[in-house]
Amino acid sequence: MKVIETKELFKTYTETEVEVKAVNGISLSFTEGEFAAIVGPSGCGKTTLLNLLGGLDKPTSGSIIIDGKDISSLSSRQMIDFRMNNIGFVFQAYNLIPVLTAKENAEFIMNLQKKPKAEREARISELFKAIGIEGKENIRPSRLSGGQQQRVAVARALASKPKFILADEPTANLDSKATTELLDIMRKLNEEENITFIFATHDQRVIDRAKRIINLDDGIVVKDETEVV
Amino acid sequence: MITISSVTLAVVLAVFMRSFQEGTYGKMIENAIGDFTGYVQVHQKDYWDDKTIDNSIEVNSTLINNILEVENVESVNQRLESFSLASNENRTKGTLIMGIDPEKEEQILSLKKKMIKGESLKADDKSIILGSKLAEYLKIDVGDTLVLLGQGHWGNSAIGAFHVKGILKMPAPDIDRQIVFMPLKLAQEYFSFENGITSLVVKFEDSDLTQEITDAINAKIDTTKYLAMTWQDMSPEMLQQIEGDRVGGLIMIAILYMIIAFGVFGTVLMMAEERKKEYAVMIAIGMQKTKIMAISFYEAILMNSVGIIIGIILAVPLVFYFNIYPIEMTGEAVESIEKLGVDPVLPTTLSLSIFVNNIIVILLITFLAAIYPLLSILRLKVIESMRR
Repeated sequence: MKVIETKELFKTYTETEVEVKAVNGISLSFTEGEFAAIVGPSGCGKTTLLNLLGGLDKPTSGSIIIDGKDISSLSSRQMIDFRMNNIGFVFQAYNLIPVLTAKENAEFIMNLQKKPKAEREARISELFKAIGIEGKENIRPSRLSGGQQQRVAVARALASKPKFILADEPTANLDSKATTELLDIMRKLNEEENITFIFATHDQRVIDRAKRIINLDDGIVVKDETEVV
Repeated sequence: MITISSVTLAVVLAVFMRSFQEGTYGKMIENAIGDFTGYVQVHQKDYWDDKTIDNSIEVNSTLINNILEVENVESVNQRLESFSLASNENRTKGTLIMGIDPEKEEQILSLKKKMIKGESLKADDKSIILGSKLAEYLKIDVGDTLVLLGQGHWGNSAIGAFHVKGILKMPAPDIDRQIVFMPLKLAQEYFSFENGITSLVVKFEDSDLTQEITDAINAKIDTTKYLAMTWQDMSPEMLQQIEGDRVGGLIMIAILYMIIAFGVFGTVLMMAEERKKEYAVMIAIGMQKTKIMAISFYEAILMNSVGIIIGIILAVPLVFYFNIYPIEMTGEAVESIEKLGVDPVLPTTLSLSIFVNNIIVILLITFLAAIYPLLSILRLKVIESMRR
């Protein structure tokens, strides 16, 4: 089942004197349960494509269809609600809220969705166990290691059971051990719970674990390979 | 913390400055008006324009009863005032002679409290008391005799030698330099004016009712013969001085409010700038901008309220302290303050309205200062802000 589909997607930046075509007519689709990596050299359009897929940016032209709905036509308010209910984000710099504890960060979106306390507690407990940070619930981000912070970020992205997770260079700030552990967790969630992960990365360790690799260059897809099982 | 501190400082500064200003005006009015002329007086209708003893009133119980019938009026004191030359040895000075009922005037003039030497007057005394600066000029002391020479009623000469029973210090230096008090009966004898008075001083508690009471008295008395006047009518120069000074004070306080506004605006803006990334992440993961604005607004209210509460906690004892122990001016400042007819001390006032008004103004400033940072949340660009 298709989770996301892009049709003739363009994103052109005109703020500078030189017009930059960051995404230059990309048509792609992702199905449920994918573990895909968008790869390519710096400036090839990975992050721009990921931002467009996540509704953080609007395309210059083309459409992005998620669950049968063209999100490029949504208003800013509708888009924020759409993101809250359908998309999970994992950022390179973790981006946890410093004044909240690990648990409060993880249940932040569920709070926005006004989920009952019991449901929140159960989900966070389940997730913290699954990603191996049990016992860290009441600790603030500043007292967690980079790897632990990124796990909390993963828990936050997964808490509201989104349709897919977008992860922009999630391992860029992690050491080898933390990267391996994080990827193990993500892959396990993908395989056991059929959660869709789409990465923008140039980390070989992520690329090695991906089931599908989409190569971008100058804003176009130059190669799209799927692992043959 | 920075925001709370800036609001706290703003409250302390604004309250302190305003209570000093109003305390000084209050002192000025109290010295020259409340403790001397009273807030309302009734005279013969031409007296104020031509203050001669001939434009006076014969004591008239109907007139006094009419005044006493006005709501909030507590008492009416009779005075006979005129000018005379006072002489001792080879020194002479123009003085204001005020014939009073010493017992009744205690409520307004509080002479007993002001005595620095000798004793205060009694109704049937044949003695006088005088201001300390006048006594100093005339080189006269308690027990000496003061010679007075003036004009009495209907052209009679007023001449007398009076025993000095006491010396008092009037808080307004101008008055202290020229005042001689004597019992009303003695003054009527001196001015050859039996039963004559020049002023009826109306006593009431709340000075805010001055105009209201004056209007009510004028409605009750025969205004073809008599006229009730407010202290503002009687001392327009003092009113002008206070109003002029108040405008200056308001400009000062406006400048202070502007500094406060910029300080608070700067801290709120800095806080919003520092949190842009945090806000961007919240928006990215699904929080509406309006919700972030609402939270930031509540946060501002909370921080401002904490700042205001701390500010009040700090300002109250400070204002109380300087009310009890006013700042005593020294050096050249004494002369300039005395020229205003005021004691050279600067007390604070304990008026609740100063606290309330300043709290309202500072709350308004802090809310206005929060508008721009709040609006910047609406304009926030998520991707750019997350890259910071």
